[in-house]
Amino acid sequence: MAEVREPAIRVEDLRFSYGEIEAVKGISFEVMPGEILGFLGPNGAGKSTTIKMLIGLLPPQGGRATVLGTDVALDDPGLQARIGVCFEEKNLYLNMTARENLEFFAALYGVKDADVDGALRRVGLADRADDRVKTFSKGMRQRMMIARAFINRPDVLFLDEPTDGLDPVTAAAIRATIKEEAARGAAVLLTTHDMFEADELSDRVAFINEGVIVALDTPENLKIKHGTRAVRVRLRDGDGVAEEVLPLGDEAATKRLAELAASPDLLTIHTEEATLEQIFIKLTGRGLAG
Amino acid sequence: MSPRSVMTILKKDFALGPRSTVFLWALVLPLAITLVLQVAFGTLFQPKPRLGIVDEGGSRIAREVRAMEGIRVTAFSGAEALRAAVEANDVDAGIVLPRGFDAAVASGERPRLTFWISGQSYAVNRIVLAVTTIDLLRGLEGKEPPVEVRLAGVGEAGLPMSVRLVPVIVFYALVMAGLFVPGSSLVEEKETGTLKALLVTPARVADVLVAKWLLGVVLASVMSIVTLVLNRALGPNWPEVLVVVAAAAMLSSVLGVVIGAFAPDSQTMFGIVKGSGILLFAPVAFYVFPDWPQWIARLFPLYWIIDPIWRVAVLGGHLPEIVSELAVAAGITAALGVLAGVLGRRMRIQAAAR
Repeated sequence: MAEVREPAIRVEDLRFSYGEIEAVKGISFEVMPGEILGFLGPNGAGKSTTIKMLIGLLPPQGGRATVLGTDVALDDPGLQARIGVCFEEKNLYLNMTARENLEFFAALYGVKDADVDGALRRVGLADRADDRVKTFSKGMRQRMMIARAFINRPDVLFLDEPTDGLDPVTAAAIRATIKEEAARGAAVLLTTHDMFEADELSDRVAFINEGVIVALDTPENLKIKHGTRAVRVRLRDGDGVAEEVLPLGDEAATKRLAELAASPDLLTIHTEEATLEQIFIKLTGRGLAG
Repeated sequence: MSPRSVMTILKKDFALGPRSTVFLWALVLPLAITLVLQVAFGTLFQPKPRLGIVDEGGSRIAREVRAMEGIRVTAFSGAEALRAAVEANDVDAGIVLPRGFDAAVASGERPRLTFWISGQSYAVNRIVLAVTTIDLLRGLEGKEPPVEVRLAGVGEAGLPMSVRLVPVIVFYALVMAGLFVPGSSLVEEKETGTLKALLVTPARVADVLVAKWLLGVVLASVMSIVTLVLNRALGPNWPEVLVVVAAAAMLSSVLGVVIGAFAPDSQTMFGIVKGSGILLFAPVAFYVFPDWPQWIARLFPLYWIIDPIWRVAVLGGHLPEIVSELAVAAGITAALGVLAGVLGRRMRIQAAAR
């Protein structure tokens, strides 16, 4: 008999208002163990409020959310021992060393044999273990945030802009680490403005706008569903360059594409795949940066 | 509430303490004030003259000197032990009263009296002990003193200024360590966002508040005791002094937690303390100016922790005399504890909103 896996995060009709302002208007989604769900939306869309409810900072005002089978409304410390959170703000103890920071949080999580050196090595800070965090650059502090989120080997990870402020090489290393955590079996809820990051990391993405999830699917399915299936062909045209966009699946266009592919003037052929940002704009009428 | 989380946060706060300006200030300020006042007014408490006695025959001198309040008497079993104590300045002076000494003096003999003086003793103590001994010997001889001494008090009656300033110094220790340290530590957690990081671990707001409270209680107790010791106000009733100091530290610390939980940032916190400074500091002024109507001091909450310290540590009173004051202090502490709990819930929502 096939094993039935329970979602690590299950959200049903979740709601929250700040006074008269409805921030989250009845959203529902699930994240399975080992899955990375990209949670995408502009500022004020309701992403942070949703995450704050899931990590126990805000009590839900309507609907229900369970993390690892425990209702978040119960405010169970046992649940928080099994989650890891990486905030967007770098809320570290600046007067403590990197090692002291991680040892302190490991102790709070009740982890007796925390591999602090291993955690620092993973984020490339092993050689700065005994330096105070206040001497760290923005990028190093961000890496510390990641190390802290992983210190209790959580079953669920909430990552808010985890590669914010990192150089491309370090960002790639952190993305690889996030993938490792998911491969280990951790469910990951990833909030980001970076569409390329969301595309690269997420198994599925949820677009949230004005407190409502407007789309939830794999990046590929979203692109297929909402994008344009076409190729853009660039040809030498005298001293300049000419372009032609040919829709895929059209018989005449396929014939034309074959002709152009054989032309000595052909320069490049690119697929015309929609980006997640373009799909978001198409669905909501607004950009992600707003 | 989780004792493990409380202890973990408390341990972290003590480790971070020496790296915090407010923490260091709390340690230094009472000591600095003590030093300044010692320079200004001389030694706050002149040490009592200490006399060591070897009493081989139950002399009347030994009995009478023991009955004197102004002299601290220590009995020794033999002359050698006494001499060693005098040499080490454990006592200012020592006398050996041999068997039959009183009778020999009374019969007009001139028996030998060994009187050692420590080279390191204060001159004033040497004079007091020497004059007292000679006076008692005259009494033993049955002779009247050569002059009649009449005491006439001049100047203001009551305790000297140096003694009346002790509550002020202890109060500084209590306020700096008990109020400022937990309050500013809590506000710093809010300002840097670390409070939010704590609250997504198994630690709860109550754990954070209790840890900050204990930080203030321990630090304020230690600093108050150190201040009392430096001012030589920790007498033989020290266990009772510890009780009143602990009660005072509990109240001042819970007040610090309330202010810290209420204030969103350091500026607001210092504004609150400055704004309410007159309310906080007013009670100690009544000890410096005893002519003021003393009942007014009772209107201020911190009177109920300073008065027990004054009466037990400075005046040498005992706990049964200050039960009502301690009960009021406990009531205020409990009420502020409830208020801290309410503000803690609000603080959690504020942390989430940041």
